[in-house]
Order: sequence, then C-alpha cells, then structure tokens
Amino acid sequence: MRPENYQARSQPPSNEFELNFGPNHPGIEGNYAFRVKLNGDQVLEARADAGYLHRGFEKLMEGRLWIQNIALVPRICVPDPVPMEVCYSLAIEEIGGLEVPERAKWIRVMQLEMSRLAAHLFAFGGHAATTGMYTTMFWGVADRDLILDRFEELTGGRVYSIYNIPGGVRRDVPEGFLDRLSSLLDYLESRLPDYDNLFFTNQVFVKRARGVGAMTQEQALKWGVTGPNLRATGLEFDVRRDDPYLVYDQLDFEIPTESGGDALARNLVRRAELKQSIRILRQVIERLPSIEGPIRCPIPNPLAWNVPAGEAYTRVESSKGELAYYVVSTGGDKPYRVHVRGPSSMHAVQVLEKLALGARLEDIAQIMFSLDACPPEVDR
Amino acid sequence: MSKLDNIPVRHQPTEAAGRKRTNPLAHVFDELVKFCQSRSMFMLHYCTGCGAIELPPAMTSRFDMERLGIQPMVTPRQADILLITGYVSIKTLKRIILTYEQMQSPKYVIGICSCTVNGGMYWQSYATAKVLKDYLPVDVYIAGCMPRPEAVISGMRELMSDIKSGRAQNWKRYYENYDHYLGNQQKLFGEDWQTPTDIIAEARHYGLMTDRTLGEHTALLEKHQRPLEALEMRLSAREKQKT
Repeated sequence: MRPENYQARSQPPSNEFELNFGPNHPGIEGNYAFRVKLNGDQVLEARADAGYLHRGFEKLMEGRLWIQNIALVPRICVPDPVPMEVCYSLAIEEIGGLEVPERAKWIRVMQLEMSRLAAHLFAFGGHAATTGMYTTMFWGVADRDLILDRFEELTGGRVYSIYNIPGGVRRDVPEGFLDRLSSLLDYLESRLPDYDNLFFTNQVFVKRARGVGAMTQEQALKWGVTGPNLRATGLEFDVRRDDPYLVYDQLDFEIPTESGGDALARNLVRRAELKQSIRILRQVIERLPSIEGPIRCPIPNPLAWNVPAGEAYTRVESSKGELAYYVVSTGGDKPYRVHVRGPSSMHAVQVLEKLALGARLEDIAQIMFSLDACPPEVDR
Repeated sequence: MSKLDNIPVRHQPTEAAGRKRTNPLAHVFDELVKFCQSRSMFMLHYCTGCGAIELPPAMTSRFDMERLGIQPMVTPRQADILLITGYVSIKTLKRIILTYEQMQSPKYVIGICSCTVNGGMYWQSYATAKVLKDYLPVDVYIAGCMPRPEAVISGMRELMSDIKSGRAQNWKRYYENYDHYLGNQQKLFGEDWQTPTDIIAEARHYGLMTDRTLGEHTALLEKHQRPLEALEMRLSAREKQKT
C-alpha cells in the first residue's frame, strides 16, 4: 500500500538509469547483488554488492576446536564443499606432521572428482537457465542428484559430507560402491553427447555466449583468475598437475584449454573437464581395490588435541579455481588464524565488475554464471 | 425460509474475515478458495542461504514440487511463500523484511534449515540473526542442516494442509503484533530503521489493528519517518550536481 506521505520524485530527464540487479533476482547466482548503471540496456558502470552471506567464518574458526571446524568449512562453498574439507585437513596434516595412509588419499581423490562433476553439472545447468534453456538445467540437476546419491552412500550426507578429517577419512568405501560408481560414470559418459546436442553445440547457446565477457590471458593473470576461467584463456595451469597433492601425480589426465576467454570458452572447458574427471575416477576405481591399509592414521583425542605450533599454506584445485588455506597454530587446541583464499572472491567481485562494463543487461547473468562464482565463498 | 438455509453447514464461518457472512454458500466458497490457495503456491525465487542448494533438486524432475502446484516466482508481489533457506545475515534480513512486506496477503513464511530456528552452526557469529521468528511470523520450520528435498516437500505439504484447514493465519500476526516485530528489528538495525511499506495503514485497511499494533516502537518510526528513502536509487555525484 502506498504510504500516506508518498510523493513522486522528480528526476532529471536522462537516458541513464541505475538498476539494482539482485539479491532477489533469478539472474543472479545465489544471494548476491549487483548495482549497474545503464544507458538503454548497455552497462556503463557496475558495482558488486557482496556481504549478504557473510557469517565471519575466519573468526568463527578461531573459537572452535580443530576438529569442530571440519563441520564448519564445507559451508563456505555450498555447491562444491569437498575441496574445502580436504584443503583444511591437508593444512592440519602439514602442521601436525601426520602421515595420511595411501588408501585415504585415493578415497579423497575420488571424492574430489565426484564433487567436481557435481559442481560442473550444476554450473552449466545454471548458465543454460540464464539463456532460457531450462531443459539443460533440469538434466544437469537430475544427473547431479545421481552423484549426490553416491555421496550419500559413501559419507551419509547428500551435500555436506564432513567425511574428511585430519589424518584420513572417516569410513571405508562400502561394499559394491565402486561398481555402482562405475555404472554411474558409464551413464554420465553416455549423456555427454546428449548435452552436446542440447547445449554445447546448440546455436542458440553458441551465438548467445560467444564473445560475451571475454578477457585476455594477461588480464586474467592480472585479475587473479584461476581454474577453468583461466584455462579458458589458453593458459594450461592446474594445481592438480603443477603442484600435485594427494595422488594426482600418479594419475593420467589432461588439462583442457580453450582460447576464446569468453562465456562460451569457459563452458567448453567445463564440458571437457567432465570427461577428464570421469577418466580420473575410472583410474581410481581400477586402483583402489588393490591398495590395502588403514583409512586414517591415529590422531590424538580430537577434543583435547593441541596441534603443534606452526603454519601451513595448502592449495587444491576446486571446481571454481584455486582454493587455498593458510592456517596458523600456536600450539593450542584451536586455530590461531585461518585464512581462506577462495577463487570466487576474485571472480565475482573484481572480474565480474570489469567484464560487465559495456555488456548488455541480459548478459550480466551469463557472465556471472559462466565465471561460476560462488557467493557464499565470496562473503564467507 | 429459503432453500439455501437448509444446507447443513459443518463449520461456522469464522470472524477472521472481519464481517459476518449470512449466506451459507459463502462458506462453501471460502473452502473452495482455501483449497485453490493451497494448491497454487508461488514461492519467491530468493536464495537467502545454503539451504537453497536443495531447492533445485526439489523443484526439478527428480522430486518435482510442481506436481503440488508449487512454482518459483520472480517478483515478491506475485509470490505466496517466502522461503528463508538457511542462515540470515543482518544485511540479508533487511532485504527479507523488505520483501516480506511487499508480498500480498495471504503470505506464508517457511524457515528452512536449523539456522532459522536457533542460529544453527552460526550461533556465535557476529553477522547473523539467530531466531527468525523474532523478526517475521514463521508458518513452518523445516529443521536439518540441510533438510533433504523430501523434507522440504513434506514441510510444503504441512503448509498446504494448514492453508486448507485455515490454520495458517500467521501473516495476520505481523499486523496484530507489529510493535513487537518492529521492536526486534530496531534492536538489530538501529532506531531509525524503516521500510517504505506502511504496515500500520495496511493493518487498518485489513481491520487487523489491535492494541499491540501500535506502541513505543511504532512511535519511534513516526519520529524518524523519511519517505521512501530506503528504496531510493543512489544517484551519482555528477547528477546530483546537475540538479
């Protein structure tokens, strides 16, 4: 209802106007806002408005035990939570000098790649929805759900697994799990041509996405872009290969790149990464049964665990880009300081602001989804 | 005595509508409206927290909420349900209240995830509002971190049966106890907090004024009244100089 003291504002005549894009907007990924100044439908100024999801993670973690934080870290990035747990565990293991058993490393790689598959299916499903192709979104979400079923079987949780702990993983792989995972991979692989026909080679999408939000390799490096977005500009950089962690150095996979640097190229890189993730998972399924041994090394009583003083910087390749944790311990039962270097805080703020300049209003959603930024991780 | 008066009426028409119905068929019509309302719920497309990640599976082909008549809707003006999916940071809570007040009555609020119930994982966080029902009347809570799509759908069905039986009247509480809700909001956002919606005039319009609608907090509201400032687009400095 119009307030009693309502009075119309008089505006100077102008072609330019400001628009609040989000947080309550279907074209925005998650709870995130964007304030744009437009001339017609062309963006003149763009300003990211983050902070809607701020929970103060880095502060919260200082107040909880080392092991309690395992439950907290996956909440930082909702669509792709596993790398968060793994990276945090890796940091504690480095400080505490824990030797992770070989079998646990392989199980972690399996989880990481499953999470990557799920996140990529979700990401390009979302991008498809912004171009009006809802079928791809329905398919992507439905196929992601099949991966979540396997997560549930392995860890007990659909989205947040809280399965990795410092020193290894909580439970061993259930009987028959690898067979079911293998048949899921067969199914996903058989779906890829369908996705190609429906989305990746569909002219509706290709013409819409080509040239949108393009950046060069120099710009990408200058702006701190990592992950699939960097590989879409032609640079073959992947933490999994260039700074191997866990058992990635024993695995055989390629780093797909594209040269366009635009929304189309970024999606094609993700499409190619689906195939590589399936390839890695097949190798894990082949090798895992032959690796015997415990799934975690003994750790002290986790509720009274004083991790020795020291600091560690560990990084992993998440589906969004390079994810790193800087953890400092002063020998107490709680972390002294934890810093999260998330890939999305670069992608969603500084990169998105620059790429949106000169773009059209309807392409902002495309740029955001093609960067695959994750708002909870921007705000933390 | 007309024929219509012989039709047995199971429930007496409630006085909630504000005026007494004399025609017994009006009651039948009310039931019909309630049934239709419960079967065509549009939920606002606003992902406020991490629980929103379980909504795409719930909405799309696997769990398919659309078979229950639940559909995402992009504008608050046309939405019936406001889903609060997870923790609400204070910055988000302002937008949630703004959105809630824009929605047309009858409107329903569903709090998904434990964080809306009592703060959940973030009970000690400096940036989140802990108990959602202090700020908005909540119809259904779905606990869990995060609740599975089945749980979300079961919560929706709960709300549907509440609407059908006429129990889901919580939106009226916002008008009836506006002073209480506003007081909690002012505690969080500061004394000069206001939204562009005139809730008191709406309460008067719906006939929902009680002695708890106005109070010390609404008095504060009148003191700080700044028309439409909250929604005002910020003009750039250049344009301000021009005018």
